Amino acid sequence: MVASNLRDKYCIVGVGETEYSRGSGRTTRALGAEAIRNAMNDAGLKPQDIDGMLSYHGGDSTPSTAIQYDLGLRPNFYMDCSGGGSSTEALVGLAMGAIEAGMADTVAIFRSMNGYSQIRIGGTGVRAAAPISGPDLMKRPYGLISAVQNFAFTFTRHMMEYGVTSEDLAHIKVAHSNHASNNPKALMKQRVSVEDVLNSRWIIRPCAHLLDCCLETDNATCVIVTSAERARDLKQKPVYIMGVQGRGTKPGGDFHYQHGPITRVAGHYIAPRVFDLAGVTHDDVDVTGCYDAFTYTVLLQFEDYGWCEKGEGKDYVRSGTINLGGRRPNNTSGGHLCEGYTHGMNMVIENVRQLRGTVDDYCPLAAEGIHTHDYSEGHCRQVRDAEISMNMGWGTPAVGSSLIMRR
Amino acid sequence: MPTYEYRGQLISISDADSEYKGYFEAASAHRLVVKKCSDCGLLRGEPGPGCPWCTSLAWEWQEVSGKGIIYSYQIVAHTVIPSFRDWAPFPIVLVELDEQRGQPDPGDGLRITANLVDADMEPEREENVAIGKRVEVVFFDGEDGFSLPQFRLTGEVPENEVWTHQA
Repeated sequence: MVASNLRDKYCIVGVGETEYSRGSGRTTRALGAEAIRNAMNDAGLKPQDIDGMLSYHGGDSTPSTAIQYDLGLRPNFYMDCSGGGSSTEALVGLAMGAIEAGMADTVAIFRSMNGYSQIRIGGTGVRAAAPISGPDLMKRPYGLISAVQNFAFTFTRHMMEYGVTSEDLAHIKVAHSNHASNNPKALMKQRVSVEDVLNSRWIIRPCAHLLDCCLETDNATCVIVTSAERARDLKQKPVYIMGVQGRGTKPGGDFHYQHGPITRVAGHYIAPRVFDLAGVTHDDVDVTGCYDAFTYTVLLQFEDYGWCEKGEGKDYVRSGTINLGGRRPNNTSGGHLCEGYTHGMNMVIENVRQLRGTVDDYCPLAAEGIHTHDYSEGHCRQVRDAEISMNMGWGTPAVGSSLIMRR
Repeated sequence: MPTYEYRGQLISISDADSEYKGYFEAASAHRLVVKKCSDCGLLRGEPGPGCPWCTSLAWEWQEVSGKGIIYSYQIVAHTVIPSFRDWAPFPIVLVELDEQRGQPDPGDGLRITANLVDADMEPEREENVAIGKRVEVVFFDGEDGFSLPQFRLTGEVPENEVWTHQA
């Protein structure tokens, strides 16, 4: 197996985001600058302290070199990478590599998107208007364009093989909505019931009602990575990176469905490596962040990351384990289903705050780390004594990344 | 670079498109083709430039029977493509062709995306869509010589029990 000599040598020292909205009224450049500035202030870092930048985009963001002007940054290293979900975790690893290689000391990683008001991942507007060419020729002439459609063959086949129902999936949305009700930042704070999900209109049968789908959102997010040595002098309690792996893929990449089993996702290959790098087991993890583009992405990843046996994800998500107050709460901010869709970074930000003990819930003394642990609506979402977190990023059934952190 | 219009969408197939141009040329002649590796002889469902099993870049088009089963499906209740709204709800199927099923590895197959259509080339009714049902290729002839492979039910007795979410 893989061996690591970087475990605990790097930290996330700053996190920041903009408002999650549907209609930011601003450019992705303005959003990006605000998120990075918020993360710098969170860490207590000045412009001259940030000498590395990484971002990811799908032709819908702003270049690092624009924001360099806006915040007076002069990086020794930057890259704007093409990528969607599961890029956050992978770029944390690349930031560590850049620092280890001596190319930079402190790296800000950001994602900025007007994912509702400008370029929607769901495929409307700009994306749908472009002429169809290349691999899209095998899909879009048939009306297959959106993310959930690209994943649906995997979802439907999984329902057949393992007997998953819409009701099973609804429990994921219910859990995340309960968490979001204690998150002042969340776009959708309202708690929903299993019936609410089942009564919401169908998007794709049999695998996705409207409330099984995440919320297209305008936002920018940022995390800052530096060495553990530098982290000691900064404002926040450092959150240590124990292991990071990805983006890893299934056989076949984009055309993974030509191989079997199509119900297997990239996490199957990533899990053993990231646990080995981090030197921990499932039992050591207190809180998870499992990419919820759709309820089904959560269920599949829980299975293939080994939180339960293959086929038992439907029981795992109904067991109470993933709820606040349960053994291992998932997406305590509400995630993409309720807080807002960020291409994965908000779930890393949330886990950093969980490990610091300063989640920004409705507890009056939350910023000082004093929480009531009353998980009823409008109160606390801090996990008691959270020591270790795990993020599981999803790009497609074939693409994923994972990040294990500790306080 | 020929450009076609199909159901309100522009389709652009470049002369330099070494993956898909031959596929659609064959479709215009009502032939369903896949790529065959000229070295190891294996077929591949996605018409890419290299052989996933031996890395050979030498290939030729190979006509297939166009018969197979529904391997998975989705019923599009809400479409984001305006020109498909009059079709919704409509089925999209992942067809597994009869050729090379379970080869070279047990989970492998030649899998192609299409709509499941009826005799009038309209979307097949949802209650008739099920994993495991037998299908065959049909070709929708559009304008300017553009043809699109589609699939319809054959009514043949399926090999295994079929599955549908409507059970």
